[in-house]
Amino acid sequence: MAKTLRVRFQPPLVLTLLILGFFVFIPMISAFEYSIRTPLTGGYGWTHYIWAIREDDFFHYILRSMWLAGVTVTITLFVLVPTLTWLHLSRSKVRGLIDGLSLLPLVIPVVAFAVGAQISFPEFVQNTVLELPFLYFVLALPYAYRSLDIGLNSIPLKTITEAARSAGANWWRTITAVIVPVIRGSVMATIALTFALSLGEYTLTVLLHWDTFPTWVTFVAQDNILGAIAISMMSLIIPFLILTVITLFVPERSMQGRK
Amino acid sequence: MSSKSLTLRNISKRFGNVNALDNFNLEVGVGELVALLGPSGCGKTTALRVVAGLEHQDAGTVLVADKNISDVPAHKRNMGMVFQAYSLFPNLTVEENVAFGLQMRKVSKHLRLKKAHELLDLVGLDSQNKRFTHQLSGGQQQRVALARALAFEPEILLLDEPLSALDAQVRVNLREEIRRLQLSLGTTTLFVTHDQEEAMAISDRVGVMNNGVLEQIDTPDVLYNKPASSFVAGFVGTMNRIPAHISDGMVEIFGSKVVALKRGNETGKVHALIRPESISVAATTAQGNAKVLTRSFMGASSNIICQTEDGTIVQSLMTSASTGDLLPGSSVQLRVLSSEVLVANV
Ligand SMILES: Nc1ncnc2c1ncn2[C@@H]1O[C@H](COP(=O)(O)OP(=O)(O)O)[C@@H](O)[C@H]1O
Ligand SMILES: [Mg+2]
Repeated sequence: MAKTLRVRFQPPLVLTLLILGFFVFIPMISAFEYSIRTPLTGGYGWTHYIWAIREDDFFHYILRSMWLAGVTVTITLFVLVPTLTWLHLSRSKVRGLIDGLSLLPLVIPVVAFAVGAQISFPEFVQNTVLELPFLYFVLALPYAYRSLDIGLNSIPLKTITEAARSAGANWWRTITAVIVPVIRGSVMATIALTFALSLGEYTLTVLLHWDTFPTWVTFVAQDNILGAIAISMMSLIIPFLILTVITLFVPERSMQGRK
Repeated sequence: MSSKSLTLRNISKRFGNVNALDNFNLEVGVGELVALLGPSGCGKTTALRVVAGLEHQDAGTVLVADKNISDVPAHKRNMGMVFQAYSLFPNLTVEENVAFGLQMRKVSKHLRLKKAHELLDLVGLDSQNKRFTHQLSGGQQQRVALARALAFEPEILLLDEPLSALDAQVRVNLREEIRRLQLSLGTTTLFVTHDQEEAMAISDRVGVMNNGVLEQIDTPDVLYNKPASSFVAGFVGTMNRIPAHISDGMVEIFGSKVVALKRGNETGKVHALIRPESISVAATTAQGNAKVLTRSFMGASSNIICQTEDGTIVQSLMTSASTGDLLPGSSVQLRVLSSEVLVANV
């Protein structure tokens, strides 16, 4: 049964691949092709990439965006994992409410959000770039929340938690040594989503007058569109490499537990 | 030996309007295995969880070696627990699961793995050290859970129906194994089950629970032969309830009078409570007082089910040798073998 299914032609899969190809892969490949053209010779070369790396601000901004994204990921995990664990264990009625609230960032327009933040936040908050990770956390919340929620739903959380506690693990160890490793897949997904979303956030950052990698790229694009494309291509690759490294260094285990 | 005694004093616990535990008292001596037996929903798990610190009682105290631990959090109680559901950590190997408690107690990796291997050896799984838990059978998983609960030398071992998800044969083997381990390690153990055979087979004492109350706690022998209440009598072993008439301390059953151990009415209609092995069935050519419905052969003994003239079903357990002529439908004479019987109100 399973075998015939696998061999058989699968229209839904083909359709998905077609849509992905048309709207994601083809534009990306075209952009890449465009960015390595050298108009003078009519051939291809790395001119724009070399230009981008030589720009003084390239590393400054990419590093800044990356640490902001790192802080966002940290905030997300520290807030959401314990909160969701508690919500799942307590069978509290507030869970439905929080589930709903976590979706709010999807429906609030970023512009309204940014203006509201500017009006309401006290001076000392607006003076530090650290306001960004907290705001990115809110923007990524709907995705991070869902991803962790699915992970926690897929395991016998109550029994596992109680087994850990009666074996001598306090809450912190229970979460770090048991729950997080067991839902490792969905924690990785949360990290990836939050990191990518923070790294690419533009609207809110610009409206709050901060400079990060995406805003810098837009600035550069005004003078050198091909250079800007080259920069964006690289900014795609760097987080990808980082996430790959993270995945490689965290031992592949909970995956063996499923099948 | 780190085992300690356990005392539950006047414990009450409510969930909404359900009284899960109602002024519950229990004592378990050092190295003793006590089973809590009762129908589903009678509060057994709740009692165990209160001891483990996974649930907090509304009133009363839990004492370990006479020290009140009511406010000690679960992870500091040093109690090993085995759950009804499979509870192993899926991200860890078998040996890491067993070593988990020692890891939490900051024991070095070398020492804790050594201890884990020792315990896995005791439960007969030493060859499975490096496997992941989903590669094990249900019985093996519960063995690992048992090893995990014992590895950090708990003061008290708590077992919440650890066998109920297993096949009959595995269940019998594993319960013997639990008892053997418990005896050799001398661990004070509280064992929760709804299976009376299981409780009777391996416990020093059995506490029978009903509606959040401990009805009786005694050795299996006393519980079986001198049940303190009609509920206990019915729950432990098989018990015939035969309508009878009581007067002057005597009950008339099957035409003869037997001394009544008083629990019910002094006079009038009662139920006589009689074990199957205390009823004999004899074939008769004359008009007997019952008819054989079925006879099931169980090896050394046979189970005879009869129906009396007034329609009461009576079960008798006899040595197979004496049941040869008890064919279904044949007319028989029932007799009570014991000289005294328990009675209960109708
Ligand atoms: N967390 C809970 N919330 C509400 N009711 C509960 C909870 N735990 C147990 N109960 C109720 O308390 C009673 C005793 O439950 P339990 O101790 O699990 O019984 P047992 O283990 O003997 O089957 C039952 O009526 C059960 O429904
Ligand atoms: Mg139970």
